Amino acid sequence: MTKGNGTRRVVVTGLGVVTPIGLNVADFWASMKAGKSGVSELGGFPLDDLKILIAAQIKDFDPKVRLKNYKRDKIIVHADRYSWFAAAAAEEAVAQSGIEFPVANPYRAACIIGSGAGGLTTFENAYRDLFIHNKRATNPLTLLRIIGSSASAHVGIEYGIKGPTFATCSACSTASHAIGIARDYIQNDLVDVAIAGASESVINYGTMKAWQALHVLSPQGCFPFAKRRNGTVLGEGAGILVLEEYEHAKRRGATILAELSGYGMASDSQDMVKPTVEGPSYAMQMALDDAKIEASEIDYLNAHGTATKDNDINETKAIKNVFKNAASKVAISSTKSMTGHPLGAGGGIEAVACIKAMQESWVPPTIGLDEVDPECDLDYVPNVGRDLKVNYAMSNSFAFGGLNAVLIFGPPPA
Amino acid sequence: MDEVATKIIDILKKHMKEPRDDISLSTALTDLKIESLDLAMIVFDIEDTFGIEIPYNANEDVGDFKTVGSVVEKVKGLVAAGPAAAKA
Repeated sequence: MTKGNGTRRVVVTGLGVVTPIGLNVADFWASMKAGKSGVSELGGFPLDDLKILIAAQIKDFDPKVRLKNYKRDKIIVHADRYSWFAAAAAEEAVAQSGIEFPVANPYRAACIIGSGAGGLTTFENAYRDLFIHNKRATNPLTLLRIIGSSASAHVGIEYGIKGPTFATCSACSTASHAIGIARDYIQNDLVDVAIAGASESVINYGTMKAWQALHVLSPQGCFPFAKRRNGTVLGEGAGILVLEEYEHAKRRGATILAELSGYGMASDSQDMVKPTVEGPSYAMQMALDDAKIEASEIDYLNAHGTATKDNDINETKAIKNVFKNAASKVAISSTKSMTGHPLGAGGGIEAVACIKAMQESWVPPTIGLDEVDPECDLDYVPNVGRDLKVNYAMSNSFAFGGLNAVLIFGPPPA
Repeated sequence: MDEVATKIIDILKKHMKEPRDDISLSTALTDLKIESLDLAMIVFDIEDTFGIEIPYNANEDVGDFKTVGSVVEKVKGLVAAGPAAAKA
C-alpha cells in the first residue's frame, strides 16, 4: 500500500460532533466552558427492572431537521440513530473544511467511521418484535440499520467517496483507530482527504442490562479520578474530523486547525477488562515518537478517564511511566466527566476537544472532582477549565480487551 | 376499484418519493420509480396489512409484480389461500 516517501503531512480542516452537551462543536464547547454535565435521568424506553437509572443521552436530536441537507443518501432518516449522529457530525466537519464533495478524483478520498457496536437499538427492537410480539418478520431495513459499517456507508454515499470506506471496531478506541488509519492512508499517498471518526448510540434496555451485569456503571454519576468515583456512565454521540494532506489543504487556501502529528497503538494482549500499564504506555510513547516530540512538549492530555476504579489508577500510572518528571506538569482532564462515556465515539469527540483547546488556549476541566483519589495524583484540571497555551495535545483511548490508541495533535505546519 | 386495490395503492404512495394520484391497475411498477429497497418496504407493508406472506426474492425478476393490477391479483390469491398456503 505504501507509496509515499514519508514526507506527506496530515492536517485537520474540519470538526464535527453530536454529544449530550451540544449537538454541534460550538454548543459542545460552550458546555465544556460552563462545566456542564450531560448526565441525566435515563429515559426514552421502558426501564422495567433496571437498577442503573442515569445516562448521558442525547435528547433533542431531530434527524428530519438536522439531516435535511442530505441529498445523495436518500434513506439516512430511516437509518439507525448511530448513523444519524455520524451523518450530522460529518456534515458539520465537511462544511467547516470547505471541501467540495465529491472531490475531483473520488477514489482519492476515504470515509472511515467506526462504531463499537453498530445499530444495537435496531437489533433490540427487531428481536422484541420477533420474540415478544411474535411478529412474522423484521422491518426490511433492519439489517442495513444494524451493520456496523452503515454509518461509513451512508456518509460515503452522501459525499460521493469512492476510496477506502469502512468502519473500525475496537470498543472505546474505535474513533482513535479510525482517525489513525485515515492519517496513515493520507500519509502513505493512498488518498488526499478523509472523513474519519466514530459514532455510537446503544443506550437501550438490553445494553443497560449488559453493562449492569459487568458492574462497571455508576448509579450516581461520572467522576473521573475522584475518590468517590464508582463507575462510568454510558453516553452516546459522534465525533468526526476531516483530515487532509497538508499541501492539498494549503493549495486550496483552507483554514488548517491542527496537524495530526502522532498516532500510536498497542494491545495489552492480557485481559478483557483488567488493563496493563505497559500497553497504554507503549501506545503513548509510540505516538510521541511518531510526532517526533518529547512527552514534556505535551501541554494538554485528554485522558481516557472513564471513572472506573481500575482505569483511572492504571492510566495515571501509565502517564507517569511515559511522562516521567513531566507527568506532574501536564494539564490532564477527562471530558467524560461532562459527556459521559460515548464508547466508540469517545476518541472522536475528545479529538475535537483537544483541537478546540489548542485553538482557544483553554483546557476543559474534569468536573465532579471534589476530592481526588490519592492514587490519582496528577493535575486533572479539577472542576473549572483553565487558560493555557496548548501547542501539543494528546488524546488517550484505552478500550476493553486492552486495545489502546493514542493521537497527538500539534500546531499547523509553519 | 375495490378495497384491496385501494389499500395497495395507498401503500405504494406511502413509499414513493413523489406520490402520484394517477395510479391505476394498469400502471407499471417500473413507471413508479420504485427502487429495490422501496420494494422490500412495500412488500413488508402489504404482508402486514393483509396478514399474508408474499414469496419474493430480490435477486429474481418478479413476474407477478409487473403492474399494480398484477400485485392486487397476487395479494387476493394469497388472501384467499389463507395463512396455511403462505407457509408452503
